[in-house]
Amino acid sequence: MLRMLRTRRSRGIIIQAALLAAVGALVAGMVLTARENLIAQGIATGFGFLDRSTGWPINVALIEVSDRSSYARMLLAGLLNTLHVGITGLAGATLVGLVVGMMRVSGNLVLEILGTAFVETFRNVPLILQVIFWYAVLTHLPPPRGAIDLLGVGFLSNRGLMLPMPDWSGTDLLLIAAALVAAVIAARRLGGERPLRAAALALAAVAALAVLLLFLGHDPARPLISLPQRQGLRFVGGLTVKPEFAALLTGIVIFGGAYVGEIVRAGFLSVDRGVLQAARALGLSGWQVYRLVHIPLAVRAMLPALANQYVWLMKATTLGVAIGYPDYFMVVSTAINQTGQTIELLLLLMGGFLVINYTLGGAMNWLNARLAIRGRN
Amino acid sequence: MKRHLTAIAAWAAVGAAGAALPAAAADPGPTVRMIQERGSLLCTGHNGSYLGFAEVDDRGNWSGFDIEMCRALATAILGSPDKLQIIPVSWAQRFPALQSGDIDVIIKVTGWTMSRDTELGLQYSLPYFFGPTTIMARTEIGARTPEDLAGGVFCINAGTSIERIVADYMGARGIPYEALNFEKPEELRAALYAGRCDALAGFGPFLAATRFNAPDPEAFTILDAVLALEPEGIAVREGDDGFVDVINWMISALLMAEEYGITRDNVDEVRANPPSASVERLLGVSPGVGERLGLSDDWAYRMIKAVGNYGEIYDRTIGEGSVYRLPRGKNHLWSNGGMLYPLVLD
Repeated sequence: MLRMLRTRRSRGIIIQAALLAAVGALVAGMVLTARENLIAQGIATGFGFLDRSTGWPINVALIEVSDRSSYARMLLAGLLNTLHVGITGLAGATLVGLVVGMMRVSGNLVLEILGTAFVETFRNVPLILQVIFWYAVLTHLPPPRGAIDLLGVGFLSNRGLMLPMPDWSGTDLLLIAAALVAAVIAARRLGGERPLRAAALALAAVAALAVLLLFLGHDPARPLISLPQRQGLRFVGGLTVKPEFAALLTGIVIFGGAYVGEIVRAGFLSVDRGVLQAARALGLSGWQVYRLVHIPLAVRAMLPALANQYVWLMKATTLGVAIGYPDYFMVVSTAINQTGQTIELLLLLMGGFLVINYTLGGAMNWLNARLAIRGRN
Repeated sequence: MKRHLTAIAAWAAVGAAGAALPAAAADPGPTVRMIQERGSLLCTGHNGSYLGFAEVDDRGNWSGFDIEMCRALATAILGSPDKLQIIPVSWAQRFPALQSGDIDVIIKVTGWTMSRDTELGLQYSLPYFFGPTTIMARTEIGARTPEDLAGGVFCINAGTSIERIVADYMGARGIPYEALNFEKPEELRAALYAGRCDALAGFGPFLAATRFNAPDPEAFTILDAVLALEPEGIAVREGDDGFVDVINWMISALLMAEEYGITRDNVDEVRANPPSASVERLLGVSPGVGERLGLSDDWAYRMIKAVGNYGEIYDRTIGEGSVYRLPRGKNHLWSNGGMLYPLVLD
């Protein structure tokens, strides 16, 4: 026994096992104490409430929910709302960040000043203020009765942006997909010496086919495109972008864009000048150097920092609660209020964000590993 | 002789014990004892202002109907309305805060619902307020009934029972609506005033306060329809019957004082010249009102002296004497057409 303690290896294992046991005991103790206290206070525990109906609705959801939905479904709707605004926000922030970052390293004075002003303004104002600011701007648009008419097909009011939306059934989508596949195949077959003419011909033929198919397969009572129309106090039909969603998204895109912009700039600046000079010395044109050497190397430098930023931005979606956007946090918060199952719901909240952000981080790591230059670590 | 003496002594001892029995003050329960030891009552405030019920000014002074109830309770237990600490908590925090002992009591327009009563380890007092849930619409819509608001957007405080009441009411009548839920009343008001919603659903008092604070109060009209009437109780931790007794009799004393016309100003005169045996008991002229609860016999007198009767508190904070001018409605005494009544003080 004592001899075991003498070797460094077994000593290390014993110390680690002891630490692990201590942490485990601590966690178990906390759980047991909490359980005991809850029972002593007469508070029901467990996840049984998930099957009960909520009795309250939310106004934005990607799946159908109502006040008769179960808590489980309502939480799922909240999670999807978080993913919706989060993923759209990440895409938007990346786009804005790319543009701003490139502006700042473009070498063009005006672009550089604009880029710097953007970054310094939006990076230095707290995100919650920005979200509330955008929300105030959007809610002070005219009311539905005085909605701004967008060429007769859309409306802008303090109830949101109403746009026409394709109203296609599954059959329609299938037909359109089939037509597109046919077009690609046709273009490839007929291509060759006169690719342009062949492509045009193929497209025309396929378009005719698609129209035919659509009319054959489409329910004539349903218009292909649903237009928003005012009906009483609201708009029906079309697609509505709610002010809550738009404000939160704008905040995340612009705030995130400022940060991503700096990451992009750092990525470009991190590429060794010697490498670029070598590429130019090999006879590559400026654009070629940029596309083949500068961007690929810069992207590799950006990825780890970007992953961090993405995870941060995903968590920022919880600011939706400030402006009434029913994201996961807000649904959990309301559910806590309505059921009082604080610990269970907080566990679900933490679990949800853990899964989202762990997946996001994992995906970024995978991408990073795929893109890493071989033989270099 | 000696035997007689022993018997007399024994009888005297029994008699003394018997006489001492009723005089031993009742145990007010662990919470009241804890409050008395601490010397202050920890009562609920709000994170921000809940107009009319728990408002805080720029110097940190609290006022409002619920705050007055906290003062009344502090006076009943500790003899002074100043022996009170208002702890700001959000709607969601109030239950965990009570269970963890951060506060002694929830006086925060808290509806008596089955789940709260059975699953959260709460015990409720008698209702001290009947909150009508109603709707305030933008005047320009010209709505007179909830049906006129079909398809409209309703702003609602998230996490309150209003969410469910509106869903039930509108669902049962098949009226489509969109619920826009806000966690903080400040954001709710900003959205409402900007016209993001067509109507605000909530407690009558809250609606009146929100209208009063609007840039243009005329832009909003409160509908007559009452969607639900929610009994609001004072909630304490389950299993402390003594504390519940104290609270129930505190509410009763405030109502009884109104019934007998005892006010903050005339309570000394009435006490000097009690018109009836009930009033004598209430104001502690004849003993009983205090010792049976484990309090001093003059607790009700001190309380009325400090905060006035129920009607005075109502008028001062949300009624005719306040900026909100909310009619008493169901919150009148039963004798005036309301639903409030004192218990019998015998």
